[in-house]
Amino acid sequence: MAALSNKSDQEIKDLLDEYGIKHGPVVDTTRPLYEKKLKEAMAKAKVTVTKPSPDRTFYREDQEEVTYVTCQTPVRSEGPSGDGKPYMRSRPEYSERDRVDDKPYSRPEYSERNRVDDKPYSRSKLEYRERDRVDDKPYSRSKPEYRERDRVDDKLYSRSRPEYSSGRQYIDEPHVYNTPSSSSSYSKPTPVMKSGGVVKKENTTSSGRLIPLWIQFLVFLIVAGFLYFIFTNMESAESSPFNKIQ
Amino acid sequence: MSSTSQKHKEFVAEPMGEKPVNALAGIGEVLGKRLEEKGFDKAYVVLGQFLVLKKDEELFRDWLKDTCGANVKQQGDCYGCLREWCDSFL
Repeated sequence: MAALSNKSDQEIKDLLDEYGIKHGPVVDTTRPLYEKKLKEAMAKAKVTVTKPSPDRTFYREDQEEVTYVTCQTPVRSEGPSGDGKPYMRSRPEYSERDRVDDKPYSRPEYSERNRVDDKPYSRSKLEYRERDRVDDKPYSRSKPEYRERDRVDDKLYSRSRPEYSSGRQYIDEPHVYNTPSSSSSYSKPTPVMKSGGVVKKENTTSSGRLIPLWIQFLVFLIVAGFLYFIFTNMESAESSPFNKIQ
Repeated sequence: MSSTSQKHKEFVAEPMGEKPVNALAGIGEVLGKRLEEKGFDKAYVVLGQFLVLKKDEELFRDWLKDTCGANVKQQGDCYGCLREWCDSFL
């Protein structure tokens, strides 16, 4: 790449637009600032390109996803970027914000919302890579860690969860529960997910109850008995209060 | 009211005229001197830079940091001061 300082103002401006960097006119006083920004953006771009191969897959899939962007803009606009712009634009911004990886459109949403998106293939690869997983089986590794905090979730694309669940601790994938062997030691058995409820809580040893159930029943019965006693011993009102005085 | 300094209040109260760059909130002696060395000897020159950067907070902060080494608080004070001045007088 030719030295930035040798470029003309117009070329600097074009480069800034290319990287999606917000800028004003390129004048004497602003030029050094923009050159610095461009250098950072280029370094970031180079770093992302030289990442290991799963990220490469990300790029390939990224391009595939271009067609989805337009369909997904409503979803994307929920992210912090606040707009439905294509991911290319937001990438430098997020890279400047020191995001760990280069998935601008997906990351803000997930990091802030734990929402499931319907892009299983793209996220899973990258996130698993960052977690240093070798294969791309979604449920084999991260689930045991998060099992204790698991919330029942009925999303199919849990692959993306492991990355975020580290920060969140309650995102989960359904097939995690389908591995009974690994879950046997935990309080929540596999069918929990299927039923969608926490019915199974009862058979565990008072999970989440401060006062045992029998004590609650006992107190209830005592109060009910007390009220009954009061009612039965109340004097009944006279049938006719207006008796003639004989 | 948010916590603005006395300097800020004085600066945004009237047109800046020929005030020196030290008059800006967040810019003290040391930073003022550095700015003057770079050619920004009056507050209005810094205002000019602020406007050329389209009043964008991030760009202005970065520029201020690069030019005179202002820390985050100083950057914020200066940006806020200029922005408010612009809201009133520009």
